[in-house]
Amino acid sequence: MSGVTRLLAAGLATAPLCLPSVARAQTDSTNLLGPIWGLRPWLGQYGVSLGLSEISELFGNATGGMHQGAAYDGLTEMSVGIDLGRAIGLPGGTINASALQIHGRSLSADNLDNFDTISGIEADRATRLWELWYDQQFADGAVDLKLGQQSLDQEYITSANLSVFANTMFGWPALPSYDLYAGGPAYPLASPGIRLRGTAGPWTALAGVYDDNPAGGRFNDDPQTADASGARFNLDTAALFIAEIDFAPGAPALGDTTTNPNTPSAPAALPSLYKLGAWFDTASFPDQRSDDQGLPLASPLSSGRSRLLRHDVSVYGVADQMIWRPDPAGPRALNLFARLMGAPGDRNLVDFSANLGLVLKAPLPGRDNDTLGFAGGLTRIGRYALDYDRDVQRLDPGSYAPLRSAESYLELTYQYQATGWLLIQPDLQYIFMPGAGIANPDEPDTRIANEFVLGVRTGIVF
Amino acid sequence: MTRLSRRAIRTALVGVLLAGLLATSGRAAGNRSFLAGLKHHTTLASTVPANGDQNPYAVVVSPVTRGRLVKNHVLVSNFNNAGNLQGLGTTLVEIDPATGSLRLFASVPQHLPGCPGGVGLTTAMTILAGGWVVAGSLPSRDGTTATKGAGCLLVFDADGRLADVWTDPRIDGPWGNMAAIDRGDSATLFVSNTGFGVGAPPAQGDAAPVRRATVLRVDLAIPRDARPKLQNITVVADGFGEAPDRGVFIVGPTGIALGAGGAIYVSDALGNRIVRIPDALTRTTSAGTGTEITRSGLLERPLALATAPNGNLLVTNALNGQVVEIDPEAKRQIAAQWIDVDRAQQPPGSGDLFGLAVRPQGDGFYYVEDDVNTLVLAH
Repeated sequence: MSGVTRLLAAGLATAPLCLPSVARAQTDSTNLLGPIWGLRPWLGQYGVSLGLSEISELFGNATGGMHQGAAYDGLTEMSVGIDLGRAIGLPGGTINASALQIHGRSLSADNLDNFDTISGIEADRATRLWELWYDQQFADGAVDLKLGQQSLDQEYITSANLSVFANTMFGWPALPSYDLYAGGPAYPLASPGIRLRGTAGPWTALAGVYDDNPAGGRFNDDPQTADASGARFNLDTAALFIAEIDFAPGAPALGDTTTNPNTPSAPAALPSLYKLGAWFDTASFPDQRSDDQGLPLASPLSSGRSRLLRHDVSVYGVADQMIWRPDPAGPRALNLFARLMGAPGDRNLVDFSANLGLVLKAPLPGRDNDTLGFAGGLTRIGRYALDYDRDVQRLDPGSYAPLRSAESYLELTYQYQATGWLLIQPDLQYIFMPGAGIANPDEPDTRIANEFVLGVRTGIVF
Repeated sequence: MTRLSRRAIRTALVGVLLAGLLATSGRAAGNRSFLAGLKHHTTLASTVPANGDQNPYAVVVSPVTRGRLVKNHVLVSNFNNAGNLQGLGTTLVEIDPATGSLRLFASVPQHLPGCPGGVGLTTAMTILAGGWVVAGSLPSRDGTTATKGAGCLLVFDADGRLADVWTDPRIDGPWGNMAAIDRGDSATLFVSNTGFGVGAPPAQGDAAPVRRATVLRVDLAIPRDARPKLQNITVVADGFGEAPDRGVFIVGPTGIALGAGGAIYVSDALGNRIVRIPDALTRTTSAGTGTEITRSGLLERPLALATAPNGNLLVTNALNGQVVEIDPEAKRQIAAQWIDVDRAQQPPGSGDLFGLAVRPQGDGFYYVEDDVNTLVLAH
């Protein structure tokens, strides 16, 4: 489940590491409706800002999957921000509320049955509250505290380069999506919590605690059905602790003063950003192999109720590194990124996920705000889930039950910034071993064949 | 002696004293850094008025309370319109730095008779003791220099009403921050022009610089209870590089500050240096590009200039989020401070800075962050 806000931000506005040095597009409106006949600036006087955007996309699988076909889906995001400094004279205070209107069908669910769903906006059709929080800055903005309902994919495990891509798992990764209750507090869900962040020069640290289960149901319940409005504000289940340290080598702090001017500045190193983080969940998690009687879940004698294992934990790392910039003052730059994430294989369906890719900003002459991206990813099945597959083969030798292993995927995408407010993004994806090699429900004696997916996404900021 | 005459003499005396202080304090400044004493950077206000204009450029502190002007309030010009098109901003906003409250000071029509090409307010602005505000316009119709006009100098009264429009063959794209000497009944302004011979930006790559940018001395007479009158225009420097730019509209000399002995300092953006124009107050011919006092080092395309209380120059960089302090007498760069570290740009803060103005109390300076349309105080 990827961060939609980041997606639009990356495509339609600014994104760290991918930006031109100075060629900020000030020759083009970034909103289709501009000032909305004076409404936007009038509200701005009182610190109120409005956001309205629409992502629409059409994807189809030309090969593979359960069957071939195409599907349209879309997302309208509405947000209201209030700068409390302007509104009521409380400097550094911000209130943010956002809502989602999700429409269309999901190609991944209908045709592909894959782990790495092909679009970060795919979700159940609904109109739902998303985030609702209050943020207060201190110490000239060096520290801030955020309280309220938050979607973790907006701040944690992020990368501006990853957000160029359409596939869900370049956003909120596969590992928490499949291992946490409800997939974790991430699009289209959010959980109440509190987060503290501090920045000092190249270092940023952020840590928070949230309810770990946005909808509050059991592990396999559908959270989008259980809390269809997004307004449950569940605080009755376990706690999810998450912390991350970000390091941007060479990044200055506000107020850093150089007093040795006779030495000309050393050529600036190509920018980079590294992140290291971990989360810990206090809930109990279902054993992937054994039931509550100690029998294999695959056994016909099993209760069907998984043994519960206390707590869950994961660590992750994200690296963004610019590797080529022909002109320091120009927009063209090639960025390399990688993201790795691991968790114990006994209680987690996915014990490892990874992303690796390249993003080229301004790939063509005269197209300073376009982006070309090529990347891949891998989602690996945990060892207990693999043992479950072996149990199925052993206990029911007559059935076709292939051992799952890992699903991997490649994506080639091009973000064409038609205007400041319109993004058009043709996109190609190829999924290897869909579902990590599961049998095709429509043809139960074969695996789901590799999938070639093509489509186009459009983004409009109103 | 009339009140006006007394005020004029008092103002002239203050001006002479200031000039003397500038002349001596620069020498006395040594290596003591003004910037090193500034530890805080406080965002004071948004600079966006009700019509949605964006991209704040000029920053000037009002020296007087008169009409709608309030002494020590900050006047800011907007270069972009609500659609973020450059060279179409038409508003001046007045900000109370104590409360952060903003109000519109002046707004002029986009298509203004007498101002060739229309209105796009630049970094060129000053406020005279009588409450007259002089602001530069370098207009465009499509947000690029492809449709730019020669522009003009606009004169507003203390209530923000447009009082006059000045054009001249020697005015083409008044752009950089003004330096002014105000004697009460007369004034001398210095303003750079970056429009001569500048065409559309190339579809790709950088445009070749045109070496036709100038610095003008504009002599004004200020009659009692009447608007200022343009007396003389003299080209005191010329031959600076200027170039159209897809991202930042135009690059050319953007900063001017007064120096000792009637000299001025000019930031030569494309040359990545600061130059001195001798005898700028009195000379009748151009000094060309003057004499270089410092180049490169901490400078990364220098923009607006201001004079710190210790006599050193402060100049904002275009290509990073730093302000640089220069001892003009010793011709040395003293320090640079990060005042914008937004990592959304690389290097951080690149393209965000433009105008700046020293606080009258002498304990800091105001500057704008044009990417987020805010006025910030370094103190």
